[in-house]
Amino acid sequence: MSHKEIIRKYYSKLGKFDSDIKKIENNNELHLVLNDPNKLHDFCKFLKQDFDLRLLTIICCDERKLNHGFKIRHVFGSDADDFFLFVTIFIDESHPHFPSLYDVFPSSILYEREINDMFGLIAKGNPNIKPLILHDFPNNVFPLRKDFNLNDDVKRNLKQFEFTPITGEGVCEIPVGPIHAGIIEPGHFRFSVLGETIINLETRLGYTHKGIEKLAESMSINDVVFLSERISGDESIANSVAFCQAIEKIAKLTISQKAKQIRLLFAELERIYNHFGTLGGILADVGFPYGASRLNILKEQIMQLNERLSGSRILFGVNQIGGVKISITDEMLIDIHFVLDDAFQIFEKIFDHLKSNPSVMDRLRNTGIIEKQLARDRGLVGISSRCIGIETDARQTHPYGYYPSINLKQKTLRETMEHQVELQKRIGDVLSRFMSRVDDLRQSKAIIDSITTLKDDGLSMSMNDELIPYSSGLGYAESHRGETLHWVMIGEDNSIFRYKIRTASFSNWPVIEHAVLNNIVADFPVINKSFDFSYSGNDL
Amino acid sequence: MKKSDKTNHLIDISFKSAAIKDPLKMDDTVAANYRGYVILDPDKDFVLKDETGKILENSCPTHAITFQNDGSNLKIHLDNGKCILCGNCQVKSPELIKITNKFNLAKKRRDDLIETFSMSVPFGKTYDELGQELKSKINKIFGRSLTIREIDAGSCNGCEIEINALNNSVYDIERFGITFVASPRHADILLVTGPASKNMERALKIAYDSTPNPKIVIAVGACACSGGIFGNNYATTGGIDNIVPVNVYIPGCPPRPQALLYGILMAINKI
Repeated sequence: MSHKEIIRKYYSKLGKFDSDIKKIENNNELHLVLNDPNKLHDFCKFLKQDFDLRLLTIICCDERKLNHGFKIRHVFGSDADDFFLFVTIFIDESHPHFPSLYDVFPSSILYEREINDMFGLIAKGNPNIKPLILHDFPNNVFPLRKDFNLNDDVKRNLKQFEFTPITGEGVCEIPVGPIHAGIIEPGHFRFSVLGETIINLETRLGYTHKGIEKLAESMSINDVVFLSERISGDESIANSVAFCQAIEKIAKLTISQKAKQIRLLFAELERIYNHFGTLGGILADVGFPYGASRLNILKEQIMQLNERLSGSRILFGVNQIGGVKISITDEMLIDIHFVLDDAFQIFEKIFDHLKSNPSVMDRLRNTGIIEKQLARDRGLVGISSRCIGIETDARQTHPYGYYPSINLKQKTLRETMEHQVELQKRIGDVLSRFMSRVDDLRQSKAIIDSITTLKDDGLSMSMNDELIPYSSGLGYAESHRGETLHWVMIGEDNSIFRYKIRTASFSNWPVIEHAVLNNIVADFPVINKSFDFSYSGNDL
Repeated sequence: MKKSDKTNHLIDISFKSAAIKDPLKMDDTVAANYRGYVILDPDKDFVLKDETGKILENSCPTHAITFQNDGSNLKIHLDNGKCILCGNCQVKSPELIKITNKFNLAKKRRDDLIETFSMSVPFGKTYDELGQELKSKINKIFGRSLTIREIDAGSCNGCEIEINALNNSVYDIERFGITFVASPRHADILLVTGPASKNMERALKIAYDSTPNPKIVIAVGACACSGGIFGNNYATTGGIDNIVPVNVYIPGCPPRPQALLYGILMAINKI
């Protein structure tokens, strides 16, 4: 089905709201503007019940200069169709309130908190409007408003963050962080424990907030590619691809087949080296250093391959708007296949070893379980949702780049059945996430294997003339953590008016608070590692 | 037009009628292999090594070539005033020495006849050699392990990937007597990454204060050195040294494990 047909299919069902909405189409995006913000709640309820859409993100944008108000776009996506629905409402500055969707889409709580922090708009009804990203920030300063200057020196007053008090006989509190014992990013975890068992966990993140979204507004489009690579160092390809695709969508630029192939190759290499690292990390956290060491050697091998191919061990500087900067020659492709064949041969041996090792499997099984309903409510993406059998994969639902051209070997009926049985075993514990990652690795290998010849049609297209001011586009990519969304609105003179980033880490982080419940404190590291969220990608 | 054609024609005729060519004009060209002007023109991937320099120096009968090695720089001086154009040196090192057939050798000052080629010493030490050097220094100074506490002050996690790589079996930093510890209270060195986000400022200060004296702070990555791409904005402080004193800066985005080890070695040398 073409994008137009999909959009018509959805739009035709909106009959009873016809008088209230205005429709704008943009590629695979359907923008609906609600005249009355108060109808948002009913409308979204209808969307959930009749369309089975999930809330992807909520984008706020300060358009006071253009439209005399703030615009809030609720972005919905479907698991079945390549389609994004934007529901837009206007908020007047004099009434900085908008209806909360927490009872329809519980995941909205997070986005509404973010908007409260960055724009000072209050979601009416949201049960939790504690500060999310900004620490010790004054109540009347909102960084993403246009009247706030990037370099403003904001005087911070030390405030005590109010954690929800958990009291009772024998309940102890364990504060952890922001500086952790290992070599990882900063974040604060407040455990409430009864004996060894965790009965509550509250996370406080935002420690690595660097003002990326605001910073992008002061940079040229080409420079923002470098910024997008540094949203989260290990997702550099996924994030820069998502950003480049957003701009290419706005510019209506079709990039060359070769550039698409190269982006895909690097994206899959990134997925592979990170999954090797995460699997190694999980094994280190359950006290199985042999497996961890072996897997980290594989990770190092892929990183050295990355360096040979791109000049950067973590693949910085590959993408640019309109294509790629780094070419892959036939010899390099042979190098990729050679290194991967070798690495996966070793990997399968290690994996066999792990499966037959009860001390490892026992620690992984039934640890950190999440429920299916929770995964749906919280809008989990990537490994976190696949571990409970919900298949969300931007490469399949919203095929981008070279992915539609990939023809993987058709599974036989028997293999499909076996896969289904395997999926039934996924109960959302650490082992399921471990197995999902292994699946992902094998799939990445198969995708790279399917590329045997490189197209020969140039690396990069130059962007012709100026982009239309205030046009917008949604770019998306599947990082190794899950679906990544980048929404860009262009300002005057090819500047960036608003850059909204929603990484998989942001939508997935809260699930950790649920996954650790009823587990022992000692299992927290392995549960945390099995999700492998990025702190930097969350805090921006 | 017609007039000039006519004149040309006339000249042509006059040449044809000449019996002998002008002898001076015949000898005007210089043979391609004439040994005229010796220049130092290295090939694209030429690397000047200690031994090559010495061979060149010895190959010259008039000592026109001198070689210098002051540790960080290798220099070849060629004094065209002494050169007798024997071509020995070109035979020894055709990658560096080129003999052209040019003859514009004259110079107004004697010193100008001396040509110099210099090359900074490529960093020749391998990861292992660096590590062994570090190990012996750590033994001498501490008599025990060197302990490092890593602090992420807002990095994008690229630097963390490389610091973690130091601990994998390929780089295995622990064999040189370096351990990453869980608390700043156990640490000799703080390895700090990130542009120092404002939200981490307080935590970084507390960690610095809890580290026992004497302590070394190493800023890792472009962000930690200067704020990097994030610079100095409402959420970042523009470099670690705006919060705590920094002893060694390791630039790079991110610096590779070898670069990290070299930085740590430099920090030890500072003690």
